[in-house]
Amino acid sequence: MEQIKEELTAQLENPTAFTIPIFGGIPVSQSVLVSWILIALLALAAFLMTRHLRQEKPGRVQLVLEWFVELINGMCKSNIGGHGRSFAPWLGTVALYIAVANMCGLLGLTPPTKNLNVTLALALTSVVLIYGAAFRFKGFKGGFRQFVEPVPVLLPINIMEIVIRPLSLCMRLFGNVLAAFVVMELVKLLVPAVLPAILSIYFDIFDGLIQTVVFVFLTALFIGEALEEA
Amino acid sequence: MLVAIGAAIAVFTGIGAGVGIGIATGKATEAIARQPEAAGQIRSSMIVGCALAEATAIYGFITALALIFLA
Repeated sequence: MEQIKEELTAQLENPTAFTIPIFGGIPVSQSVLVSWILIALLALAAFLMTRHLRQEKPGRVQLVLEWFVELINGMCKSNIGGHGRSFAPWLGTVALYIAVANMCGLLGLTPPTKNLNVTLALALTSVVLIYGAAFRFKGFKGGFRQFVEPVPVLLPINIMEIVIRPLSLCMRLFGNVLAAFVVMELVKLLVPAVLPAILSIYFDIFDGLIQTVVFVFLTALFIGEALEEA
Repeated sequence: MLVAIGAAIAVFTGIGAGVGIGIATGKATEAIARQPEAAGQIRSSMIVGCALAEATAIYGFITALALIFLA
């Protein structure tokens, strides 16, 4: 018990990878470093994959890209409605980042989403988007009216939701990645060979993708709710 | 010792989430069997329901972890 506890505590820490030697040293933590690596890889992939796009006879890569863009566009349209197209690029980007971040354990990197601060930042951007959407598309007055809908009595509950929504989005993503990680560590302790490899397919790939879908989907759903009858 | 028991009780929230997700998935399957053309909409509302139900299990799990590591 004590040994497992120490092992887990050591794994849960977010060690400083290196320090930028300006302004008296800015510490860069491991999750930020891994995020930068993933961002660089995604940017490189985006650049390489979109170089030879053709209208006639699209290649295999282009078909996959078109499938993904169609998927995101369709999801935004069916959940957000008329303004859905404006949110598709951001939701697609977040989906790509979370999916890659959840699955980068396969490459031997520590998933950044295992760090509470990363998921909290993602959830905060989502919440700014959700409440900002009403201000953008319904005007200043309409933006404030979203807090007294459907009836003004619900005002305290609506204000409470501003805190609860990012908290639950962030805790869901963090908790799932962490739970998968802890279970994997325990299995590795009991059965060091074969079984962890099979389980990692479920925990790293399947669960990672499901959480990506849930995060993006819930954000889209909340935006749709805020923009109702706009 | 008592901390471990407390953590174990916190993890019991998983029962609720399991039952909830089970019921939601069962009903969704029934609904899709009855109306296959509405499968897309049923699936999306099921995913949201499952995500919300699952959150309770996650909260319990985080509480247990906090008990073990912080107490």
